[in-house]
Amino acid sequence: MQIKLQAVKPTFLEPGKIDRSQLWNQLVGFESGQRVQVVAPSGSGKTSFVHFLYGLRKDYTGSILYDGKDISQFNAEDFSGWRQQKVSVVFQDMRLFMQQTVMENLEIKRILSPYHKESRITDMATRLGIGNKLDKKCGTCSYGEQQRIAIIRSLQQPFDFLLLDEPFSHLDEQNRSIAMQLIEEEATERKAAIILADLKPIEYFKPEITLFL
Amino acid sequence: MHLSFKHIAAFLVTDKNKGSRLLSYFGLGIGVLLLLCSIQMYININNLLQNKSARSDGYDYISVTKTITNDNMSEDHSFTPAELQELKTLPGIDDATPLIGNKFLIKASGGDAFPFSADMFLESIDEKFIDTVPPTFTWKEGQDLVPMILSSDYLELYNSVFAPSRDLPQVSQSMISSVMIQLEFYGPNGSQKFRGNVVAVSDRINSVLVPTNLLAWANQKFGNSTNANPARIFLKTKDANNPQLLNFLQQKNYGVNKDKTKFGRVKQVLQAIVSGLAGFGVLVILLAMLLFSFYLQLMIARSKDNLQLLLTIGYSPKWLSKTVSKRWIPVYVGIVVVALLVCAGLHWGFQHFVMNDRTALSPFIHWSVVVTALVLLLLSIWVNYRLVKKSLYSL
Repeated sequence: MQIKLQAVKPTFLEPGKIDRSQLWNQLVGFESGQRVQVVAPSGSGKTSFVHFLYGLRKDYTGSILYDGKDISQFNAEDFSGWRQQKVSVVFQDMRLFMQQTVMENLEIKRILSPYHKESRITDMATRLGIGNKLDKKCGTCSYGEQQRIAIIRSLQQPFDFLLLDEPFSHLDEQNRSIAMQLIEEEATERKAAIILADLKPIEYFKPEITLFL
Repeated sequence: MHLSFKHIAAFLVTDKNKGSRLLSYFGLGIGVLLLLCSIQMYININNLLQNKSARSDGYDYISVTKTITNDNMSEDHSFTPAELQELKTLPGIDDATPLIGNKFLIKASGGDAFPFSADMFLESIDEKFIDTVPPTFTWKEGQDLVPMILSSDYLELYNSVFAPSRDLPQVSQSMISSVMIQLEFYGPNGSQKFRGNVVAVSDRINSVLVPTNLLAWANQKFGNSTNANPARIFLKTKDANNPQLLNFLQQKNYGVNKDKTKFGRVKQVLQAIVSGLAGFGVLVILLAMLLFSFYLQLMIARSKDNLQLLLTIGYSPKWLSKTVSKRWIPVYVGIVVVALLVCAGLHWGFQHFVMNDRTALSPFIHWSVVVTALVLLLLSIWVNYRLVKKSLYSL
């Protein structure tokens, strides 16, 4: 499984930032099983990069190919299958159902393309320290708890690529480490790639590729 | 795992505007009921007001003449060949034939058994149109016996009015064939005597009929008129109360024998009323569906954020459209089935209590009513699905 970026340039980014980038307007490829870190300050397009790969936005030129297929040609049904089976994501803004409980948020994702049993949710939640929050509404959880919920949600499906957009911004060092360990285990089990975008390199994430935007 | 609406129900805002939703259900039910009942009543009216007399062999036979008014009294009221052809080719008319009358004078007398003498008339018509044609209804040139078919109405008139007023014996239908009357045909070219014998009685044709070849021969031999056009036309039709036929006859100022068409105007009015009700029913259905579509659009708008997020995390828009729209299929089925059952109940009650189990009406609703209900159901489901799909794909 391979994702290839061919001269991808956000249409809104200044030419100067594109010229200095190791990602934009380059030929870049990511393979299953790889560890990739994308480092960039705010405003350089980290979130846009994740959204482009996930198919949420199309305001770029160039091509993003998944196993040779240009994802800009995908229709709504294609993307739905893509997001169920091939790519998972942790959004910077979490994007949870605030009126639903933690368990409902996780279960609505798990039942779509089940990879784990329901009991695994409880195990993961306990491991990340939110086991007692499962029946609480997401809107009542802190940002740190919401971020851990978003991480657990992303691990409920099969994937070849796991996209992480500043996944630990609201976690302390200890929780970051525990979360990273869980993510590594899940990605390794699936032989999947992790593409992590953040403001600076994460010390307990050992990427094979580091790209500066 | 099989996903269904119950898995996403909590993520949709469906409980708001319950009132408008229930109102739309009610409106749909009333509209469907109105439409189905209108269709059934239309069929009932057709069945009840169709002439099904025993001798009609499935057809109505009506005689048509040109209406004589004060203004046109001096005109010729016979039918031209073109007018006959026009009648033949009318929709709903299976056949048309002229009734040919005598163009000479005829005197009839009853002899010693029936001491009377009177002028009379004779007519002839294509035998296909006569309800009873015995084998004796034939004539060949030189034969002095004239077979006649007498209208049952005329026999009744004779027995009830003519005979008592002249102290003549009354005659039954079975005895009339034993009565011989003297006929004398006369005109500018001479006269000839014949013996007339009634060989059959007709319920269909109000006339005294003789074989066609006899009248043609006699008109030529004794006739005093060059006008061969008939003054009466007989029409053969499946339904004498056909509104289009009656409208045509009215436009042309043709008269018809009223007993056959007495229900025509009544049928027209009733069917117009019922059609109006059906139209109103359709309007109510449309309004109810419009109200329900507003409810659906509002529900989707209120649930927009959650629906967008469901799509973002990988839910298929096609699956969401189908699942959300399927949610209301049981409601539609329930409404249409209830309306159909109520319609069936009302029809049965009408046939049993109002029409006293009259055989012209079946106690069961017509198949077209069931088909209409099915079509309405499928249409509702399809419109519902299209609306939800359009709303979801636009998110």
